[in-house]
Amino acid sequence: MNVPSRIWTRVKAVFTGRAIHREIDEEMRLHLDLLAEEYAHDGMTAEEASRKARRRFGNTLLMRERGLDVRGAGLLGDLIRDLAYGLRVLRRNPWFTAVAVLTLAIAIGANTVIFSLVNSLLLRALPYPNADRLVVIWSTPRNHPEQKFPGTSGAYVLLRDNSRLFEAIGAARLYEAFTVAENSNGANWERVQAQWFTQEMAAVLGTRPMLGRWPNDGDDINDLFIVISYGLWQRKFAGSPDVLGKKVLLDLGVATVTGVMPPGFEVLNPDAEIWIRQTVTLPHGPVPRSPNRIFTAIGRLKPSVTLEQAQSEANAIAMQLVEQLPEVQRGWDMKVESLQDVYVGRIRKSLLIFQGAVLFVLVIACANVAGLLLAQGVARRKELAIRSAIGSNRWRIVRQLMVETVLLALMAGLVGLMFASAGLRAFIQFGPPDFPRLSEISMDVRVFGFALLVSLVTGFVFGLMPSMQVSRRDLMAALRETSRSATLGSQRQRLRSVFVVLQISLAVVLLIGSGLMVRSLLLLNMAQVGFTPQGLVTLQIPFSRSVYYKGAGNTPAGGLMVEFDSRLSKLTELIRDRLKGVPAVESVTVAITPPLGGMPRRITFGRENTPIAPSEHEAWTAEWYPVTPDYFETLKIPLMRGRTIGAGDTSSRRAVIVINSALARQFFPNDDPIGRRIQLDLLDDQPREIIGVAGDVLQNRYDISAQPQVYVPQDQLPWRMDLNIARQVLVKTFIIRTSGALPIAAVQAAVREIDPTAAISSVRTVEEYAGAQLQDLRQSAALLTMFGTISALLCVIGIFGIMAHAVMQRRNEIGIRIALGASAANVLRLVLRHGLLLVTMGLGFGVAAALVITRVIQTFLWGITPTDPVTFMVVTVALAALALIACYVPARRALRIDPIIALRIE
Amino acid sequence: MAMKEIDLLQGTLDLLVLKTLGAGPMHGYRIASKIHQLSADVLRIEEGSLYPALYRMEQKGLIESEWGLTDTARRARFYKLTRKGRREMQKETESWVRLSTAVARVLKALEQGA
Repeated sequence: MNVPSRIWTRVKAVFTGRAIHREIDEEMRLHLDLLAEEYAHDGMTAEEASRKARRRFGNTLLMRERGLDVRGAGLLGDLIRDLAYGLRVLRRNPWFTAVAVLTLAIAIGANTVIFSLVNSLLLRALPYPNADRLVVIWSTPRNHPEQKFPGTSGAYVLLRDNSRLFEAIGAARLYEAFTVAENSNGANWERVQAQWFTQEMAAVLGTRPMLGRWPNDGDDINDLFIVISYGLWQRKFAGSPDVLGKKVLLDLGVATVTGVMPPGFEVLNPDAEIWIRQTVTLPHGPVPRSPNRIFTAIGRLKPSVTLEQAQSEANAIAMQLVEQLPEVQRGWDMKVESLQDVYVGRIRKSLLIFQGAVLFVLVIACANVAGLLLAQGVARRKELAIRSAIGSNRWRIVRQLMVETVLLALMAGLVGLMFASAGLRAFIQFGPPDFPRLSEISMDVRVFGFALLVSLVTGFVFGLMPSMQVSRRDLMAALRETSRSATLGSQRQRLRSVFVVLQISLAVVLLIGSGLMVRSLLLLNMAQVGFTPQGLVTLQIPFSRSVYYKGAGNTPAGGLMVEFDSRLSKLTELIRDRLKGVPAVESVTVAITPPLGGMPRRITFGRENTPIAPSEHEAWTAEWYPVTPDYFETLKIPLMRGRTIGAGDTSSRRAVIVINSALARQFFPNDDPIGRRIQLDLLDDQPREIIGVAGDVLQNRYDISAQPQVYVPQDQLPWRMDLNIARQVLVKTFIIRTSGALPIAAVQAAVREIDPTAAISSVRTVEEYAGAQLQDLRQSAALLTMFGTISALLCVIGIFGIMAHAVMQRRNEIGIRIALGASAANVLRLVLRHGLLLVTMGLGFGVAAALVITRVIQTFLWGITPTDPVTFMVVTVALAALALIACYVPARRALRIDPIIALRIE
Repeated sequence: MAMKEIDLLQGTLDLLVLKTLGAGPMHGYRIASKIHQLSADVLRIEEGSLYPALYRMEQKGLIESEWGLTDTARRARFYKLTRKGRREMQKETESWVRLSTAVARVLKALEQGA
């Protein structure tokens, strides 16, 4: 027989297995008959002959199995028969099957969801050609190598001109915002996120505009050229191809559109919709103390250049930089990081932690189902023993059991996949909007493969252990055993105990991990923010259009300098006054950085008449808040000493400043700061007299204590400044204390009364966006808590199962004890002892493991250490209580055993 | 069965079956009794070994089988050599003869006190 026909015979045999059985039976019968005839011929009686023949012939059943092995369907047929049998077994125990499948499905589903995220974000490449060769070159302060900053213009130029391992290096300014109008007359303008790209970025990224081109050398260096996003193109230009060459008005000036990027194009800022060509040159003139570190260098490595090679080249260039620009580069290193890592750096760790956590859940679920299987195995021992007695070999039995568990796991995998796809849809819909590359998250072949692999491995692992148990012992003993024997399945019981201890330990680790996060959240929620956020509404009015300022040459540091229009300050005051008349408005003040609203500008300062420290990381720095009158009153920031900034602190009066308690404590530890003067490192700024000390305000919900802070009157800001600072100052945040719902239309109307061109944006309550800041931590905590809860639940089921089983098994013994006069307490103690031992061991191992493992979530914790005793205590006690209940309920059943019935059951 | 019966070496059974079938198609019982008879009652084929051996060789394509009628008009499965089986039989016979003569020679030489 050739190979194909042999395979065909086998496949056919799968369906004709019964016929083959019959044939083999017939062949055997003939042989037996002939044998019996021979014996009869020798003079035996027919009956004797037949018996002797049969004895000689041996086990026909076994022979049939062997015959089928060879002639029949073999492995394939066996597998199908095993599957059919397995399905029958599972159907015979619907409850067991349902519980096992559901338990595993939850665990597999959770694993699949997290893996989908890992797959989409960590494993799948970024959407650029050869994205693995894209890197970011950061500047890092030597004393804080973990912090990553954009670099100075000098750093970029030197890198670009001296590096030999890159195909191209571009520079980008990632987070900018401009107002853009749809034509050069300024009609229909809106504020959009933008990025500056040097021309090299086109070569670095390798992504072509879907329409038009990137700006190139042919475009006049003195004019503005932009490419726009697909979304902006659709929204503002109705997707018309006429957009190419169109002139639009940015608040920087008139810009020409040269291209439209494909949908989904982004570089480290998914909101950017405009990319503006910029040129970066070496700074000239005197070097500023606080140079602008705003250029993020992004490079494309030459093929087969490693990250390490690029890093050592960057190190050399960084040293060269310190020599050439010592004032700005001393104390700064360079760090090369792959773009992929930059993208997912923030979430990589949490994803890996979650993947670890769900694996714990999976192990716990497996332990649970394995426990169930072991318990069930007791019932099936006789069945297996009989099969073994009639000739099934050990391999056959193990294979049968494995097929059953794998079948179980595959069913669970299928249900788990359904859970996962629902869960993932929910995540994309309700997930954090700032989650990187959210729209790209999906389930693909790799995810299905993962789910299949997890199911198979799961099935094998927890199937193997019980079946090894089955096959190791002498199954014949099972036939002789009756349920009377007290030692029945003691080994099995031991294995189940190990499972329960393992489960409890893992659950302890998970619960402590989530407990630590929850406690951090509670601490952060309780932290005094230093003002009263309830009832505060903020809205922004960008005055950044060039109407309100004009260029004024270069600053001494080489940046662009602008002069403010003197009308702006008055305009702000007028709007503020007008808003006070809107219903539900109690008071209004204007700030640059809203409270709890992100990163304020940091500014260096020193004592009057003493030079400010030479390098920025040795200098004193404080958060800088330009504010209008009523700021402290509106926010309800307590005043410690002196007075607040009032309407009298105008540009014509002496320059004043309010500091916070933290700064007073650190900078004036022994003196009264009131009346002292400090100098801010800001162009044209006068020394300022400290008029008040205010309470500390948290600017970030992840802060437990406040930074040094200074407040200056907006009216006293220098009238010319660096464009970068100016553009920040020009976006005014109006902070309104309300006594009810704020009528937005009335607010808009009021603003338009004063300035018809002004548009309000980002109307939000402080509570709303401050709450959003903790979103990350809240979600992490929620996710881990969910995993922890599932695992605790599984533990309770596991403990309950083993206890109930133990009581069932010792029914006779307990019955006898009760009959002989054992008290309820005696019986309870007897039954509980084992369970309590397991719980104690589990808790002990779990706490010990948690002490080591919780270190990995250190960066997710605020205000507590990873070994926070309170959390450890609470979790241990809570889990112990749960476990006790799980032990106690089945133990109580032992008390209700009626000795007479228990003994009669035999 | 006064005489002690000898256990067959693994592989030897296959050779005997092939050789027996060389005489023409026959069914399982006939193969066993023929070997028993030809070995002067020394070799007794266990049924527990015979049928698995037959199935195995059929699997390997050395023999094939079909249903037929015995002398007493009973349905039986008849086995017969394939061409491949015949080649195998010749090869195995030669190597068996070589082996047994070699063994016999060694035993004889040792007996004569060489």
